[in-house]
Amino acid sequence: MKEHCWHLLDIDLSDLSFTRTEIADDLKANYLGGEGLAVKLFTDAADPKIDPFSPRNPVVIAPGLLTGLPIPTASKTAFVSKSPLTGTIAESIMGGGIGIQMKMTGAYVIRITGKAKEPVILLIDNGSVIFESGSKYWGLSTREAEMAIKHDHGDYVVATIGPAGETLVRYACIDCEGRQAGRAGIGAVLGSKNLKAIGVRGNGDLPVYDAERLISLALKWQEIMEKSNAFIEDTKYGSGEFLEWVNSERGVFPTKNWKESVFDERKEIDPYYWAPKYSLKNKACFACTKACGKLFVIREGRYAGTLLDGIEYETLYALGGQCGNPDIEALAKANELCDLFGIDTISTGVVIGFVMELVERGLLSVKDIGIDCRFGNSEAVPKMVELIGKREGLGALFGEGVARIAKTIGGDSEDYALHVKGMEPPAYDVRGLKGMGLGFMTSSRGACHLRSGFYALDLTGKFWRFEGVDRLSTKDKGIMVKAMEDFMMIYDCLGICKFSRGFFKIEGFIDLISVAIGKSYTEEELLLIGERINNVKQIFNLRAGIGRESYRLPKRITCEPISSGASKGAVLTEKEAEEMLSEYFIARGWDLKGIPTKEKLAQLGLNHLINWNKTEIDRRSLES
Amino acid sequence: MPMCLVPYPENCTGCRFCEIICSLSHERVVSLEKARLRVVRKDIATDIPFVCAQCQNEENKCCAEVCPEDAIFFDGKALVVDEVRCTGCGLCERACAYGVIRVSGVARKCDLCGGDPLCVKFCPFGAIKYEEIKKENFRKILAMMEVSF
Ligand code: SF4
Ligand code: SF4
Ligand code: SF4
Repeated sequence: MKEHCWHLLDIDLSDLSFTRTEIADDLKANYLGGEGLAVKLFTDAADPKIDPFSPRNPVVIAPGLLTGLPIPTASKTAFVSKSPLTGTIAESIMGGGIGIQMKMTGAYVIRITGKAKEPVILLIDNGSVIFESGSKYWGLSTREAEMAIKHDHGDYVVATIGPAGETLVRYACIDCEGRQAGRAGIGAVLGSKNLKAIGVRGNGDLPVYDAERLISLALKWQEIMEKSNAFIEDTKYGSGEFLEWVNSERGVFPTKNWKESVFDERKEIDPYYWAPKYSLKNKACFACTKACGKLFVIREGRYAGTLLDGIEYETLYALGGQCGNPDIEALAKANELCDLFGIDTISTGVVIGFVMELVERGLLSVKDIGIDCRFGNSEAVPKMVELIGKREGLGALFGEGVARIAKTIGGDSEDYALHVKGMEPPAYDVRGLKGMGLGFMTSSRGACHLRSGFYALDLTGKFWRFEGVDRLSTKDKGIMVKAMEDFMMIYDCLGICKFSRGFFKIEGFIDLISVAIGKSYTEEELLLIGERINNVKQIFNLRAGIGRESYRLPKRITCEPISSGASKGAVLTEKEAEEMLSEYFIARGWDLKGIPTKEKLAQLGLNHLINWNKTEIDRRSLES
Repeated sequence: MPMCLVPYPENCTGCRFCEIICSLSHERVVSLEKARLRVVRKDIATDIPFVCAQCQNEENKCCAEVCPEDAIFFDGKALVVDEVRCTGCGLCERACAYGVIRVSGVARKCDLCGGDPLCVKFCPFGAIKYEEIKKENFRKILAMMEVSF
C-alpha cells in the first residue's frame, strides 16, 4: 500500500485565498505528525516577536500520525500558535473528529494566517475550500454554532470558537463535538482572525501500510486496554477517579487558590458520588474506545437542563476545589458555561479562585464585581463564568488571565497569583510533587501537567523507565523531566491520548507506526524526535524573549508550606527550583540560560537553527 | 437462526470505532464513507449507530428484493452482495430503510463479517449487539429512525 500523501493547506484569511502543497518526506520523518509537525510548520512561518493577535500569527492544525486509526485513544489533533496568554509557542490538543476528517480530505495539515474583514467560517469539503460569511454565527455559543453550521451547510465536522474567543478572552478554547482544545487561548487567536469556525468533510480513504496486521494489533491493544485499571476505573468514573486518593493519600489537591492542598468538602465533587447519580452514559473522543467522558445531566432544581460532556479531573479542581465550591451541580453548570462560551476550564477556575482571594484580602470588592465572589459560595462560580464569557464589567479584566489581573490590580496581588509564564496551573500542588513543579517551569506553554506528564511519576513513584521516585525530593528530577518531556511529545505527535499511558508505552508505538506507514523507528529515534521538537520550541521561545527569568514558580509555592494533610509542611523553595532547572538545562544540552548549544542542535539535525541568534538581537538582550 | 446487528444507542459513546474498523477490514483503508454502518451524531447527548438489519422479514422491504440483477442473496449467514452481478444501479440504496447500504461502483453491504462482526467485537459498551432477527428489533430500529430524522 502506498503511503498517504500529506498536504499542507495554507489559508490566508486576508484575501480568502489558499494554496496546497505537498509536505516533504523529511518533515514527516523528522516530526512525525500532530504537534511535532504543527510546531515545525508554525515556526517556519511565524515571527517570534509577533503579537499573538496580529493577523500574521499563524494557527496550525495537525492530526496525529495515527489519529483516526483503529487504535484505542488515537483521537487527537493539535492546534499550535503563539499564545495570547503566555506569549510562548503553545499547543492545544483536542479529541474532536476534525483531524480525521482533515486526513480524509487529503489536507493533512491546515495553516491559517491573515484576518478576514468580516466574520467568516471556513469549510473544507474534500478538495474544495469554501469561505462563507460567519456573521450569522458570530455571538452564538459553541454548541449553537456547531448545530447551525451543520444545519445550513451540511454534515461537516465543525470546530468552533464561542463568544469568548470572539471577544479575545486570552484563555478562550476551541470546541469540536463537545471536546475542547482547551489551554493557551488559541480560540482567541481564531477570534482575532474573525474566523468563527472550521468545518471539514472528507470522503477520502486513509490508506494504511498493512491493514491485516493493524486489525490484529487493534484487537491486541483493545484487550490490553480493557484489562487495565485506566479503562476499568475511568470508564466508570472518568478522569476524576483518583480525586479522593490525591486528597487523602497525597494531600496535593490545590484548594481555595492553593491556600490549602486538601479539599475537605470534596465528597460531592468526587465522581464516586456523582457518576452514578448524574451520568447518563460514557462519551468518547473520536476513534477512542476508552470513552472516559461522561454525559452529565441535571434533571431538576436550579440548574435543570444542564447537559455536558464532562467532568474532567482538572475541572473538578478548577471550578470546584480551587473556588472552595463543593456543589457538584453549580460546578457542572459552570463547566457547561465554559464549554458554551468557549473558555478553558482550568484557567477560568484559577482566575475565579484568584479573584475570590483578592476579595478576601480587600483588593477587590464584591460590589465592583457585582457577584458575591467568595470561597465556598458555589452560586458565584457559574455567575463568574458568565461574566468572563461575556466580558461584562470586570469580566473584561478577568478574561485577561491571572498574570495580567495581578498586574492591573497591583498591590501585593502578584503574591497570590498562581501562574507560570502566564499560564494558570492544573490540579497538582507541586509543593508536594517537586518533579511536576519543575515540569510546570520548563513546559513551553507555562504551568502545564501534560508536557512532561510528570505527575504520574511523582504521585505513584514509578512510571516508564523510572522507579523509586520520591515526590518530595529534587534528586535527578532535571534529568527525568527532560526524558519525560521527550517521551510525552511522542503521544502528541502520534495523536494518542495520554490517558492511555497506563497501558500504552513507547514500545507499543513502534509496531503501530510500522503497520500504519511501513516505516520502522527505534525507541531512541522516537525520543530523539521528541527532543528535536522540544528544542525547536525552545528556540522559538528564546527568540520571543522568554528566557530563564520567566521560569519562575509562584510565590505561594516557593514560600508558603502546605498547611495540612499528607504533604503538610512541603514547600518547593526557589533554591530547589533553580537547582532542578539548572540540572534540567544541562540534561538538555543547553547552557544555563536555557540556550541550546550548537552541538546539541547539530546532533538533532537542526543545523538551520544554529545561527538563530546571528541575525537578531534577541540573544544579546537575553544575555544582558 | 439468522442473526443481525441491533443498535443500542443508549450505550453509544460516539467514538465511531465501529466505522473505522469496518472500513479497514472490508476495504483495507480507513474511510467513514466506505463503512457498512454509520454512526450519526444527533447532538452532544445522542449518537446513533445505524446498522444493517439483514431484513429477512416479511414486513420489511429489503435491498435483495429490489435488486434487478439478483445480486444480493442470503449466503447462510447474511445477505451479501455478489460483486460480479452488481451493476451499481443504486436501487438497493434507495430501498434500504436504514441508510446503510451504499453504492459507489458496486454496492457495499454489511456481511456480518462472516458471523463474527468486528463492530460488535470492538464496541466496548455494547452499543451494537449481535442478536437473532426478531420483529421487535425491526420495530425498534424503525422507531429510532423516526426519532432521529
Ligand atoms: S481516553 Fe478519554 S480523553 Fe482520551 S481519547 Fe479516549 S475519550 Fe478522549
Ligand atoms: S463502536 Fe460502539 S460506542 Fe463506538 S460509535 Fe460504534 S456503536 Fe457507538
Ligand atoms: S442493506 Fe438495508 S435493506 Fe439491505 S438488508 Fe441491510 S438494512 Fe436491509
